[in-house]
Amino acid sequence: MKFRIVLALAIVLGVLLAGCQQAGEGSVLDKIQAANKVVVGTSADYPPYEYIDETGKMVGFDIELMEEIAKRMDVALDWQDMPFDSLIAAVQEGKIDMSISCFNYSEERDQLVDFSDPYYTSQDAFIVTDGFSGTFTVPEDAANFKVGVQSGTVQDEWLTAELVDAGLMSEANLSRYERVDQAALDLQVGRIDILMSDDVPAQAIVSQYDGLKIIYQGMLYTGPINIVLPDGAADLQAEVNRIIADLEAEGFIDALAVKYFSE
Amino acid sequence: MDVGRFIQYIASGTAYTVSVTLIALPLGLFLGLIFSLLYVYGGKVLTRIMSIYSTVMRGIPPIVLLFILYFMVSGNINLSPFWAGSISLGIVSSAYQMEIIRGALLSVSGAQMMAARAIGMSRMRAIKHIIIPQAFRMAICPWSNEAAIVIKDSSLVYALGVPEILRRAQLISASTQQPFLAFIVAGLIYFMLVFVTNRLLDGLDKRMRIPANP
Repeated sequence: MKFRIVLALAIVLGVLLAGCQQAGEGSVLDKIQAANKVVVGTSADYPPYEYIDETGKMVGFDIELMEEIAKRMDVALDWQDMPFDSLIAAVQEGKIDMSISCFNYSEERDQLVDFSDPYYTSQDAFIVTDGFSGTFTVPEDAANFKVGVQSGTVQDEWLTAELVDAGLMSEANLSRYERVDQAALDLQVGRIDILMSDDVPAQAIVSQYDGLKIIYQGMLYTGPINIVLPDGAADLQAEVNRIIADLEAEGFIDALAVKYFSE
Repeated sequence: MDVGRFIQYIASGTAYTVSVTLIALPLGLFLGLIFSLLYVYGGKVLTRIMSIYSTVMRGIPPIVLLFILYFMVSGNINLSPFWAGSISLGIVSSAYQMEIIRGALLSVSGAQMMAARAIGMSRMRAIKHIIIPQAFRMAICPWSNEAAIVIKDSSLVYALGVPEILRRAQLISASTQQPFLAFIVAGLIYFMLVFVTNRLLDGLDKRMRIPANP
């Protein structure tokens, strides 16, 4: 009986794995041009990069940038919202053609997908409550506190690799949230002491949530942010990079940054 | 963002929640009925296969199956998030509905089958005209439980990017910093859906009840 269950499971698993070996053939750029539309994934819960306005429409720095890129590719833009954690897998499996969602480059991600040239450079920030009285001079000091982070982000990678895996911090003190706004609320009520996030949303958080402040800013694992593209889609990458270079030269991206980040 | 707009935005996800449920539940019922008949009347081998199916399907969290179907199986068949979500919820539900119907089939006394055979009915006819109509009546109550679970599980398709009630509440919560209001609205909508469904099924149960079985 037991053996048969194992056998049945093995067969099921085999079929599933066989199914996932077969990726689509042909270039992604050709596919986009043939369909005359590009399907772009984002996680619209990260103001001011991507969020929804009063009418339920997606807006933000990334959103407006992508709309311009699609316009210049001369294809329609089809947004697909999904949780941040699902985005890379969706690009990998060809569910979406690319993803723009404040992605930083990381080696781990690079093994799964490709990246465009950076369109903006960000940094990391640590947020605490106004009443925070601990010692925090270098980022590694976070190891002595209860820290919150959005799961799957490069900040999560930094905390995991540099503090938890390095033995400085206990895994139990690291809380990974699906969305950064959940972490901000937990920080406010004191379930965590420190929230680590990208600096731009961190600015939005401290201006919108009472009693929070940024205690440290700097580049750890974050830095340039890029569009995520399917692995090996060289022609699509070239096309996107060309448009990003144009937009940078024209000052379009700087204007967007002023609009959304009020720099 | 004003509250009216914001409630409206979340509420407009109801169409997705209801559509996902309306695909998953009947699909689960259809598969569940067939599988339960195979389980009860299918002989040794089919019974064993169905038993394994039930054990495996009920042993996997719906969200895991959802991801497997969406990200692995649908690599070549390009299923949309909506269909992948609805179909996988239907498959998960089929295992539970199979057990509900199996229980109902077994609760019909064995003497009924003997009587049917004695007046010259074939086994198939007896199952179709004698056993199933009685079993279905008894299945309504436990089935309304499963209907409520599928309505609530439909919230899982948010992970694939279907803009249903829960995902909309999350987006509102992120852009307005009012999670309490956003999730209360979502909770109330789910409650209303489940409440109305259970009321309707209760009514059906009362109407269909066999007079001899109080």
